[in-house]
Amino acid sequence: MSCDDNHEARTRDRDRRRRSLPIAGQAKASAKTYWTSAEDRARKGVPVGAANEFPGGTFDVKPGEEGTTRRGFMQVASLSTAMAAVGAACRKPPQKIVPFVNRPEEVTPGNPLHFATAYALDGYASGLLVESHEGRPTKIEGNPAHPQTLGATTAFEQNLVLSVYDDDRAKQIRAGARPLAWRTFLAEAAVRANTLAENRGAGLRFLTAPTTSPLLADLRRRVLERFPGAKFVSYASLADDGAAEGAKLAFGKPLVPRHKVASANVILSLDADFLGEGSEQTRLSREFAARREPSRQMSRLYVAEPALTVTGAMADHRLRLRGSEVGDFLTSLVSMLASRGLTALAPLASLTHGQRQWDPRWLVAVATDLERNRGNSLVIVGRRQPTAVHALAAALNAALGNLGNTVEFAAPLTSDTLAGAAPLAALAGDIAGGAVDTLVITAPNPVYGAPADLKFAKLLERVPNTIYHGLYEDETAAACKTIIPAAHPLESWSDLRATDGTVSIVQPLIAPLWGGVQEADVLAAFVGEGDVGAHALLKKFWQAQGKAPGDFEGNWERWLADGIVPGTATAAEAGLTVDGNALAQALTPMLAPNRQQGIEIAFAGDAKVYDGRFANSVWLQELPHPITKLTWDNAAMLSEKTAAALDVEDGDIVEISSRDRRIDAPVLRVPGHVDDCVTLPLGYGRAGAEKVAEGIGFNAGALRVSEAFWYDRGVTLAKTGRKVKFSITQDHWLMAPDGRDAPPPAVETSLAEVLDPKSHFHQEIEERRPNPEHPLPFIHKPVDYSGQQYKWAMAIDLNKCTGCSACVVACQSENNITTVGKENVRKGREMQWIRIDRYYTGTFADPEVVIQPLACVHCETAPCEYVCPVNATVHSDEGLNEMVYNRCIGTRYCSNNCPYKVRRFNYLNYVKDYTAARELGMNPDVTVRTRGIMEKCTYCVQRIERKRISTRIEGRAIQDGELETACQQGCPTRAIVFGSLNDSNSKVSQAHADPRRYDLLHEIGTRPRTVHLARVRNPNPELAVAAEGAAGPKGGHH
Amino acid sequence: MAAPQLDVRDPLEPAPLIDGRYDDKQINDSLLEHVWRGAGKGWWACFAVALSLLGMLVIALSWTLYKGIGVWGNNIPVGWAFGIINFVWWIGIGHAGTLISAILLLFQQKWRTSINRFAEAMTLFAVICALLFPLVHTGRPWFAAYWLLPYPSTNGIWPQFKSPLTWDVFAVTTYFTISLLFWFLGLVPDLAALRDSSQSKVKRVIYGMLAMGWRGSGRHFAEYKWSYVLLAGLSTPLVLSVHTIVSFDFATSVIPGWHTTIFPPYFVAGAVFSGFAMVMSWMIPARRFLGLKHVVTMKHLENMNKVMLVTGMFVSYGYLMEHFIAWYSGDPYEFAQFYYTRMRGPMAGVYWTMIFCNVVVPQIFWFKKWRTSIPVMWFASLLINVGMWCERFNIVVTSLHRDFLPSKWEDYAPTWVDLSLFAGTIGLFSTLFLLFLKFVPAVAVTEVKELRHELAHDPTVDAVGETH
Repeated sequence: MSCDDNHEARTRDRDRRRRSLPIAGQAKASAKTYWTSAEDRARKGVPVGAANEFPGGTFDVKPGEEGTTRRGFMQVASLSTAMAAVGAACRKPPQKIVPFVNRPEEVTPGNPLHFATAYALDGYASGLLVESHEGRPTKIEGNPAHPQTLGATTAFEQNLVLSVYDDDRAKQIRAGARPLAWRTFLAEAAVRANTLAENRGAGLRFLTAPTTSPLLADLRRRVLERFPGAKFVSYASLADDGAAEGAKLAFGKPLVPRHKVASANVILSLDADFLGEGSEQTRLSREFAARREPSRQMSRLYVAEPALTVTGAMADHRLRLRGSEVGDFLTSLVSMLASRGLTALAPLASLTHGQRQWDPRWLVAVATDLERNRGNSLVIVGRRQPTAVHALAAALNAALGNLGNTVEFAAPLTSDTLAGAAPLAALAGDIAGGAVDTLVITAPNPVYGAPADLKFAKLLERVPNTIYHGLYEDETAAACKTIIPAAHPLESWSDLRATDGTVSIVQPLIAPLWGGVQEADVLAAFVGEGDVGAHALLKKFWQAQGKAPGDFEGNWERWLADGIVPGTATAAEAGLTVDGNALAQALTPMLAPNRQQGIEIAFAGDAKVYDGRFANSVWLQELPHPITKLTWDNAAMLSEKTAAALDVEDGDIVEISSRDRRIDAPVLRVPGHVDDCVTLPLGYGRAGAEKVAEGIGFNAGALRVSEAFWYDRGVTLAKTGRKVKFSITQDHWLMAPDGRDAPPPAVETSLAEVLDPKSHFHQEIEERRPNPEHPLPFIHKPVDYSGQQYKWAMAIDLNKCTGCSACVVACQSENNITTVGKENVRKGREMQWIRIDRYYTGTFADPEVVIQPLACVHCETAPCEYVCPVNATVHSDEGLNEMVYNRCIGTRYCSNNCPYKVRRFNYLNYVKDYTAARELGMNPDVTVRTRGIMEKCTYCVQRIERKRISTRIEGRAIQDGELETACQQGCPTRAIVFGSLNDSNSKVSQAHADPRRYDLLHEIGTRPRTVHLARVRNPNPELAVAAEGAAGPKGGHH
Repeated sequence: MAAPQLDVRDPLEPAPLIDGRYDDKQINDSLLEHVWRGAGKGWWACFAVALSLLGMLVIALSWTLYKGIGVWGNNIPVGWAFGIINFVWWIGIGHAGTLISAILLLFQQKWRTSINRFAEAMTLFAVICALLFPLVHTGRPWFAAYWLLPYPSTNGIWPQFKSPLTWDVFAVTTYFTISLLFWFLGLVPDLAALRDSSQSKVKRVIYGMLAMGWRGSGRHFAEYKWSYVLLAGLSTPLVLSVHTIVSFDFATSVIPGWHTTIFPPYFVAGAVFSGFAMVMSWMIPARRFLGLKHVVTMKHLENMNKVMLVTGMFVSYGYLMEHFIAWYSGDPYEFAQFYYTRMRGPMAGVYWTMIFCNVVVPQIFWFKKWRTSIPVMWFASLLINVGMWCERFNIVVTSLHRDFLPSKWEDYAPTWVDLSLFAGTIGLFSTLFLLFLKFVPAVAVTEVKELRHELAHDPTVDAVGETH
């Protein structure tokens, strides 16, 4: 049928492109020339001529024959079929060819390799392992040896294998419209450098992202040696300057905190989404989850924040506080603790604090809990809080004796301690003063990310030479004169440090697809080494460090293979003390209460596009926001009460005015949001040349000014009368909607209930899982799987899952799951196999949240299977509910009959617009699904089979733990376990035997293989009464 | 029309089955007249409307096949919507024809004679409309077209016989085949009559071929009668089985609102209900414009209204039991489905329309005055058609859009393609029907003549049809 022909044509196309890829180790020159034409071809969408169709005499088709005669067409078609089947060896070309005798070591076609590398979002490294198929990176995993990632990832890191193949990336070095070769650029730069050097480089400025790279630091030193008058400035739109400045106030020197929530019994998070963002996110998630096992040692989390975050959703007690009130709260807490015998805090006790807007019992409970757990408590302050709050928290942690146990302070590892508005404003002043002649920008898109009052794009016009090194032709590229396409992190040689100082060498997985240049090369150009290459620079630098006595090459290879350089961790500062009186003196003017009235504005980094740099990612744009479940958009988030006062509803566009700046933004009412505050996520409303990002959301940054970087008071919102429709994957459903008295979908309880074996919880949950004494009545005799070698099953611990959504993107990447676009998400056709269900209990204003990830649960008696008329979904001997894509005719009956609604249907041919480059990133082990086909979680059957093959060769069984599904592998908290139930010692068997285990929709009799473990809250008994009053699931809104 | 000479009356009812007194030739002429009469302005106007609707069908179908099911409003969880609603609705409409032709024949209900041809044709066309949907609603119809059939493929894969969709394929194709045969067999003597009265050679040859050599001999009639009764016997179980099997699509599932044991009889009753309503909707204008008032009399119409009243009560009972069981079973999901989602959910309007049209409206037929009022019954039949479509919408879409887990609840809205497909099948149906009226007699002429003779020679009936 025509579909098969298409498929063949596609296979042929893909094979050809893959053969022509610039794969590391192959000849680079020819690869480069080829890609120019491929890019052309992809952009114009026209097929190249027959002569190019099979370049290099790959096989013997006379030009003109193909496409003109049926015979010619059939020859090609049958040939490519044969090639797909047996490899490209069935028809020899007439020219003499040389067989691939000396294939690169360790490369076996079809078997992927994993390479360790690292990636930094805002300077600090996350160690990664990248899966590579024949030279194409296809999947990101965390590097288990890396101290920060511990084998897990974030959604941003998963996204790397999509962004590296992004066809919208900048592709051409250019000066204005004039294309440049790298060597031409170097020559011109050398001339300019000589001119600048005459003046000691006084007019030279570098604007970089904060980085921990020792190589870049060294290059910076060398640049400054040559141009002593030059300056480097770091800027990050989501900079975390407060922490270092606060530590400077508290301890006398700029230090950054390193948190260790593993040792914290009580955590107070003040506007800190430490489970959802920040450079420590992955590690802290793991440590936090480890302490959430329901036992007497279970930690307790208090969160005070303006809008619900991932961390807030995990809180045992959550307090809604405007960002500007956090300082008030903290001063109240400090004075209360001072009065309770924390003498170190006495000088700080009299600091002003504003009027109390919070439940006083909350404050008392927190103070008591912190005091009771001296040395094992932790106060974390988020990056949005000002210096004073950070300083006070540092003093509080010190007074509580937490230093060295739950939090350490260490010298910052980034090249510039500060990377926020202040240094950028200084640079802007230099430019305005005409002091800048040449500005080299390597920071990601500062024109978009800079505070609006700096008018950065306009300022750049005043700089004679602006050189932008960036991944995309974005807003900054439009404002600069010379553009250098940046190499993607997966195309680069570099080095990075983790938060604890451990160095990772960044090694490329693929040669730059579009001739991207690495940041080291750009800096090296100013010391005359622009043509040396980042690899040589890096190796030379590390050779000179003397970290590897003896055999450098051997050590180097080991560093690359392990992904870390041993012994590079930096020690934390010891013996830190706080001078309370000096601190009190310094803080008094800073904590002057800000009593400006009106609605507060709160800027926020986005859980999906971060600061806007991921705006061109279809995966992240379509990822439902962990809390709001919003896709393809941002929104002005308000509490229900504030929205009612403004007479606005979801989707109403309001005009937000602040300090004479105005933007239009649609409103979204969010449960748990503080009143009189509007949260504006940054990173949307992009105006660059990126096609995916175009027209999505509004640019909240247009309201952001340097002096009110995160919070500002006194904004006004006015209804415009216009409306938008959001693409939200889940409404604000309550756990017990429509007055039904069905058991709530997700089970939650309190620690006390879990610890008491006779509690109501244990009786109730007993009815939600199979009971051998009272089996559910059933037509069929259940299949006995005990004779099978494996009985695959999964368990998801709701007590660990934070809803961060890394698993969703990991699954998308592993399983070639397509995206459908905003319109189709709105229609309810999103394709992600994992759906992270978020349920609220309690009131709209102060809800509690339960997160329940759900993919296909692989029912033993699956309702989907018996209704399929063509046997396209069947059960395997080991209990997998399998989808046979080839056989599926798309009746959608299986999905209708799925009580969990976890099946996904290709309503349209979503994959047809994939670019040639995008196809390279697909997992070759997984079929790409075309239109009209049902799909769903397969328990990563391709991984099971791959492991089955390799263990069979070794003549043994698959051991528990050596096989991980993609979601499990990506999960920072290890909430997901997968394995065989026929191994009674396996982790999954233990999880299935857990007293918290329940089977979702057990009463239907589906016998799911994926079970959930109930969420446990650890409420403070002193506050429990208040919490219980709000926890009733019977609410009335939706 | 010829003036009435003598009333031929049914023995039980004072209203006549044939209004007036005719001989065979008069009946022949009057009933074949609309075939031989050239197409009038009215016919052309109707045909133009029907054809343009059919054009919409062609466009919507082409677009669906070109782009995929995504051009419809379906989503997850609403995997089925207009496609299946229309399928069930059209299949249901077909049931009136089978019931009238087969069951009433076996029960020797004489009043069926004047309307059976009409109803059978509607069955056939309705099943054609219905058959369209199971195929095009699949994601890959080019495979569905033959993978659903049990053929010995080389890879040894058969359809899955546990799936009600597989049963559907058998049920519906059987239904279509039997309906087609039954209709054609009944047509044979009339085709011969058309052959004999045709004025042009071309028509004579065509009708002659279709008449398959019918000469009206006693032997022909004997064989014809036997095979007709045999086919009626074959069709009778189909009246019950086809919609029973269609109802299994829903009843065998686990979805609240679908998983209901009452579905088979409730679906069959609903099918007959909607089928009779559809026959009425077309019969009333047709008898007027085609000059059939003398053979399709008020008695026929009244009888049909009575059937609608009875089947309407069946359907109402079905609704009642659904709601009762939802409460009595204690299943919270089913309870929420019936008492919250359907009654008060986003699609509540459809639910209440259904209740009004299917429960309230047929009650007017308790009253003779309204049972015999042409405008009232025509309007009521239209409302019942609407109500029965809403019933299928309730079952298919409303049940799906909010099932077990609130996290994957979605609303549903049809697209222009959905609406065009629905309107388009009405166009297809109308086109076929108008062509049918143009080329074959709308009333079974032979059977009416036979009825006339039967009634005339019945000793219990006197010359004017008064019962002794």
